[in-house]
Amino acid sequence: MTVDEVQAALREVDDPEYPISIVDMGLVRGVEVHDDIVTVKLTYTSMGCPCQDLIKADVHKKLLSLGATQVKVEEVFDEWRRSDMSQRGIERLRRLGVA
Amino acid sequence: MTIAMTEEELLDRIKAGKLVEGPEYATERYIEGLKRTLIVSGDTELISAPAYMRAAQDAPRINSYISVTGIVQDELGHAHIAYRLLRDLGVDVEELVYERDPKDFRHPYAFDVPLDTWAEMVVANAFYDRAGFCILDDVFQNSSYGPWKRALVKVEREENFHLRHGEQWVATMSESETSKAELQQAMDWMFPMTLEWFGLPDEMKRHGEQIEYGMKGSTNDQLRQTWLSTAVPLCEEHGLNVPAHKEGDAYVLDYPFPCEFDEDAKRWLLDEGEISWDQVLERWKRRGPANEELVDQVQRGYRQMTEMLA
Repeated sequence: MTVDEVQAALREVDDPEYPISIVDMGLVRGVEVHDDIVTVKLTYTSMGCPCQDLIKADVHKKLLSLGATQVKVEEVFDEWRRSDMSQRGIERLRRLGVA
Repeated sequence: MTIAMTEEELLDRIKAGKLVEGPEYATERYIEGLKRTLIVSGDTELISAPAYMRAAQDAPRINSYISVTGIVQDELGHAHIAYRLLRDLGVDVEELVYERDPKDFRHPYAFDVPLDTWAEMVVANAFYDRAGFCILDDVFQNSSYGPWKRALVKVEREENFHLRHGEQWVATMSESETSKAELQQAMDWMFPMTLEWFGLPDEMKRHGEQIEYGMKGSTNDQLRQTWLSTAVPLCEEHGLNVPAHKEGDAYVLDYPFPCEFDEDAKRWLLDEGEISWDQVLERWKRRGPANEELVDQVQRGYRQMTEMLA
């Protein structure tokens, strides 16, 4: 399993509230792969993000289904800014009426 | 407030798929119907907040506490939308929210039965929020009232998070026999409670006005089926028993519906058989055990501040 494969898989993990991926949302802050043990560094849009558990569970499920033997989600307390979102993410949210 | 349309003009516009943007494009009958619908929606969202706050105290971890208080914040936001739309229609919302008799609130009876455990909290997310989602999705898809339809885009997304929160915890708690038994106990009373929430069966309810006016697109029985079509598979996936099974394309209930509920024991009196909907309406009208407590949580601060400022 490669870092690129993990990145591609994370593009299919949607934010629990909006139909945009956690990658487009700018939450993924690093991916490491060692012998099919995957570490994903994640930040959230706020310290008290109510969806933390759901996001972590979705990342685990996705990567285990891809063949990872172990998935570690590391929370990093990087600041999240709107500019961390991809252009695709911003456009999708705008279509949902979220400016 | 100017009401300029005739009944015929209004129905023609709605049939042509045009949205009503305000009272000037509607009739008094339409606006009065819309107000009733918005009050039910606003009250349901509002009272779910203190009901969930009560159960948030049973959260097993900080993250779970954050999730439930996040859900409470969403619900209050949704209530705010409905009341704001009512204010635009000339309703005195301060009086409506803070000075109304608790018994006159229009939220479903389900919320008047207190949630006492974390299992009941997550089943509320999985069942009650799913019911809210079915009902609001129907409004979102079919509502002829433009301002409400647009406001519901975000509401839908948030409700989706609430029911996923419930689903995830249902999966987690199904992993051990002890916690699964707690879930089952919660589902035993909350499953029939949610089915009752959708109201009178179609043969007893005239939907004419609500559907003709585009206040909703599906009947009560259709919405009940929509709810069953995802709630039952969720329970079956985790080996939890619920009294309904599929026959052909539709779900059939395996218990007398409607039936009487023992509020203190939180138990349906299945052995006593089917009761009439008049008896159900009577129980709803009396309201449930937590009615005053929950409404008081919403009204107390307002009352105290009004007295202090006087």
